[in-house]
Amino acid sequence: MTGGRRRRILAEIDDGSGTEVTAVELCGVCRRVTGMSGAGIMLMSGDLPLGSLGTTGAVSALIEDLQYTLGEGPCVDAYQLGRPVLEPDLADPAVPRWMAFTGPALDAGVRAVFGFPLEIGGVRLGALDLFADRPGRLSDDQHADALVAADISAEAVLVMQAKESVGVLAPELERGSNFQYVVHQAAGMVCSQLDVGIAQALVRLRAYAFAHQRLLAEVAADVVARRLRFDDRDP
Amino acid sequence: MPREGLLAQAFVELADSLVDNFDVVDLLTRLADRCVDIMDVAAAGLMLASAGGELRVIASSSEAMRVLELFESQADEGPCVDCYRTGQPIVNLRLDEVDSRWPLFAPKAVEAGFRSAHALPMRLRGQTIGALNMLRVDEGPMLETDVVAAQALADVATIAILQHRAVSDAQDLNEQLTQALNTRIVIEQAKGVVAERAEVDMEQAFARLRRHARNHNLRLADVANAVSTKVLAVTALDA
Repeated sequence: MTGGRRRRILAEIDDGSGTEVTAVELCGVCRRVTGMSGAGIMLMSGDLPLGSLGTTGAVSALIEDLQYTLGEGPCVDAYQLGRPVLEPDLADPAVPRWMAFTGPALDAGVRAVFGFPLEIGGVRLGALDLFADRPGRLSDDQHADALVAADISAEAVLVMQAKESVGVLAPELERGSNFQYVVHQAAGMVCSQLDVGIAQALVRLRAYAFAHQRLLAEVAADVVARRLRFDDRDP
Repeated sequence: MPREGLLAQAFVELADSLVDNFDVVDLLTRLADRCVDIMDVAAAGLMLASAGGELRVIASSSEAMRVLELFESQADEGPCVDCYRTGQPIVNLRLDEVDSRWPLFAPKAVEAGFRSAHALPMRLRGQTIGALNMLRVDEGPMLETDVVAAQALADVATIAILQHRAVSDAQDLNEQLTQALNTRIVIEQAKGVVAERAEVDMEQAFARLRRHARNHNLRLADVANAVSTKVLAVTALDA
């Protein structure tokens, strides 16, 4: 029963403290109700990750960082396809996908990973990712819980933003989020160094991160700390 | 075609209109027309409440009905108005006997040739969003089966409108969310441009952007956008 599931998950969110729920707490609820090792919520726009609204821990944060860097992974696919994307055995997938994402995710201990789109009606705002530290399919119950949890998360995110004035990000969404501001600072610097546009500078940063098998945020931090330059000058 | 067939067709038609390019006026105009085709009523019209709770005429099956409904909404009295306020159906009110209830509306309706008024709420889970108005020229009460069928059609339209509103609210909010985030991103980009060109750290870069915006009475987001797209040179920023 979807109604019962919904009530149970909503009860999990409302801990009775009367305080506003944050995006990070939502991730915790998504993890608990599905019995997974970790969860994260990624905001997306125009087929690309905008950043992470929240995660339950370091591994989930890495799953989102990797997708942000590489532009591939369960959230990206779930968002683009508009349906759940299930990989119950990342080490031995039935159909290999996510060539760049898979290696580092396995190294971090991810064995199964699942993406669920966050949407209301036809409006899609991002995706929920769940991971497990051992391979295995989601049970029907877990799958149904994840779908309802993603729906509730989508509503909750918009309700949080609805309270904020236009042009300002709601504090409940900002808290615990990672919108990779350092990457955009670095893009601004690289665009001055190379005299190119911002979009081009971002492409150069991504290409560098990919070629050196590093996270975009790490490369960006080096640029901002002036340890790395993209022109001929010595840092 | 028998009445049941027409009714089934009306439901299919309403459902069809929900798929693509949903248009409230279109949906409710169909509903008004079908009420007249199927039920024993001479005219039908629909009013929806605005965000401020004011009733607006959305659809009418005829010009006479439209004029009457406009009058009803201006005079702020009549079957639709009462039905919307109470959320309860009004059936079989004889217009030549209700002078005291609707002293302005009733004479106008009688003058236009109508004898009885009926209004059904557009209502879902305690929320009333408008009302369906029907007027008859014949003697006698409206058929009970007609009342039930008309309410069912109004219910379908109500669900469609509420669903459409929820989705378009979500669309607006999602756009606001993305917009807020993009504003932040552009400011970070501009900080990077200034930090590199002026050889300052991020904090100093931000201070320069803010100072320039304040001095020139501009929005920080606009200054940041001009800097990151190189419309405004870093050397042109106030020191």
